[in-house]
Parts: sequence; C-alpha cells; structure tokens
Amino acid sequence: MIEAGTNEKGDARVRIESGKREIIVMSKLERLYGDAIHKTVEEMTEGIDAKIIVEDQGALDWVIRARIESAIRKYRGEKE
Amino acid sequence: MKLRRTRLYVPGNNPHLVENVGLYGADCVILDLEDSVPIEQKFDARILVKYALQNVNFGKSEKWVRINSLDTPFWEKDIHEVLEFVDVINVPKIESYEDLEKLDTLMREIEEKKGIKMRGVVPIIETFRGLVNVRGIAKHPRVVAMAWGGEDLTAELGIPKKKALILDHVRAEIVIAAKSQGKMALDTVYSNIRDEEGLFEYAKRARYMGFDGVGVLHPNQIEIVHRAFRPSDEEIEDACRIVEAAEKAKKGGKGVIALNGRMIDKPVLERAKKILAFAEVD
Repeated sequence: MIEAGTNEKGDARVRIESGKREIIVMSKLERLYGDAIHKTVEEMTEGIDAKIIVEDQGALDWVIRARIESAIRKYRGEKE
Repeated sequence: MKLRRTRLYVPGNNPHLVENVGLYGADCVILDLEDSVPIEQKFDARILVKYALQNVNFGKSEKWVRINSLDTPFWEKDIHEVLEFVDVINVPKIESYEDLEKLDTLMREIEEKKGIKMRGVVPIIETFRGLVNVRGIAKHPRVVAMAWGGEDLTAELGIPKKKALILDHVRAEIVIAAKSQGKMALDTVYSNIRDEEGLFEYAKRARYMGFDGVGVLHPNQIEIVHRAFRPSDEEIEDACRIVEAAEKAKKGGKGVIALNGRMIDKPVLERAKKILAFAEVD
C-alpha cells in the first residue's frame, strides 16, 4: 500500500492499494465537496488500475492535488 | 529598495499553516523543507511546497524555500521540484564558495531548460568552516543575502547558545562579509515567541549591528520586528532633509550637496535613502 499526506486538519491522506480500480472519497464536507474531490481524483489518477482512497480533513483543492501527485509518484516507484 | 526585515519560517509539511502565509505581512516567507520536516515526510513536503508556491497567495511577501543541506540525498530533488516557482533558495550549512558552485550548476541547468530568470540564494553559515570562508561565500553572484545559525557552532564548542560570547563576533563577520559585497545581512531567529520585549530589543540590536532583518518563527513576531527596524523620528526627519537637499542640488545642476552649511557626501546620502526605505517613506 502507498500512502501520502496526513489526517491533520486542512490536510488529506491518499492511499493507493493494489486491486480493481475504485475511488473512495471520505470527507467531513462530503455533501459540499465530495463530488469535486471525486472528480479531481478521477482526473489525476486516470489509467491507474488500483484502489484509491482519499480521506479529506477539510483540505483545499491544491492540497488534495499535491497529496494525489505524491501518492501516484510513489506508486510509480519514486523514492525519498 | 527591497526589504527583508522579516523572514517567516513555515513548516513545508503542514498545509494548514501554509495556506495563510500571505496574510501576515512578512517581507519574506520561507517554506521549510529542512529541519521542520521529518525524513519520512520529505517526499510529500517537497510536492506540497511546489503546489503551495503556485496556489497560495503570498501577498507582498517574497517566496523562499529552505532546501535540505548539500550533504543530504534530498537537496537536488528539492531544487528540481521548486526552483521554477521561488524567488530565493535558502540553503543551510554552506561551508565554501565551491558549495555554492555545486548548487549554481544545477540551478543554472534548470533555469536554462525552463527559460526562467536567475534565482537568488541566501546561504546559512552554521559551522566554523563556513565562518572561515564567509567572505568568499558572500562574493558568489547568486548570493543576495547572508544568514547564519548558531546551534551547530555552539554545539561544537559545548556551550549554551544564550551564553555564547563568540556569537557577537560571528554576527560581525556575517555583516562584514555581506556588506563588503553589497549584499544584505540577516540575523538568526529569536526563539522565545512569547517574549515580545526581548524580541524588540534583539531586533533593535540586530539593526544597530548592521543587519537588514531577522528570522521569525511566529506571525506575532513580524510587527514587533518591523517596529524595531523602523528608524527613530529624528533619523527619519534628518534623512528627509538630506534627500530633499540632494534632489534640489540635482535640479539646480550642482555637483555638491550642502545642508545647513554641512557638505553631504555620497555615503551620507546612501544612508539617508536606506533609513527612508526602512521607514517605508517614498
């Protein structure tokens, strides 16, 4: 399993697990931003055949994007 | 004149602290990838900082990133990720001109590839080796200001930082090195964030030591430092009179500036202009 980000306030934790492609978004503000976050994840992880889980703690869009990019790059083998 | 009275350190791994940095009014904001980021978070922080530099409103603050030192496996990755989006790279534990050449080679390569202008560097002198070479380091064309840190120096001597008399000499060396090359000199942080009076005196002393600014760890320290760096009313009035006399002499085509029978030469005029810049008077 690959992980990026934290569960601190204003942050998001993104996990990528091997398996069939699936996107799960958990957010405190799911009603307001759930769809938008889902769309961002969908767009940034296109072509990745894995389970992607985003736990949002009220993060801004750029924070979620940064955490997704981190997770993808680790998933593709980048280190340090 | 660009002011660098305050440079606010913000941990580069904490989005909640990063998102409001432009609101505080610091002259510079440093997103830190070094000491405030644990090793296991270096990767994520570097990417977070890249996004922050492009998305956060920094207001009037200059955008700095403190990268990891050149003896770590992280510094090159830090530069690759953030250089395009910063104004200044702050680099710890610089010990020689050659260290800066190493950094410069990579920076130049990226700047040419991306077609971006040359970024500035502020080296932090933290070791005796760095201190011995400080005048050479200040000569490097990348350097826009010189900074220093006392923890490693005093640790090496086995003495508490607060009682280390040698640090006044270190401060003087930093100022002399920077000023001999026409660069800025930046004092280190005042770490007791609750001691407002102590900070004011510290910043005032830094100003009279010849520094152009100090590091700050908390937004509440910014206004106090700016106040400490504000010249006195007497200094401002005197500077205004000098600059006005210079403008009058220029208009009248006179090469010599005189004020109340006193000749005003170039260094006096330069000092007056600097005082007005610190006073934020146009």
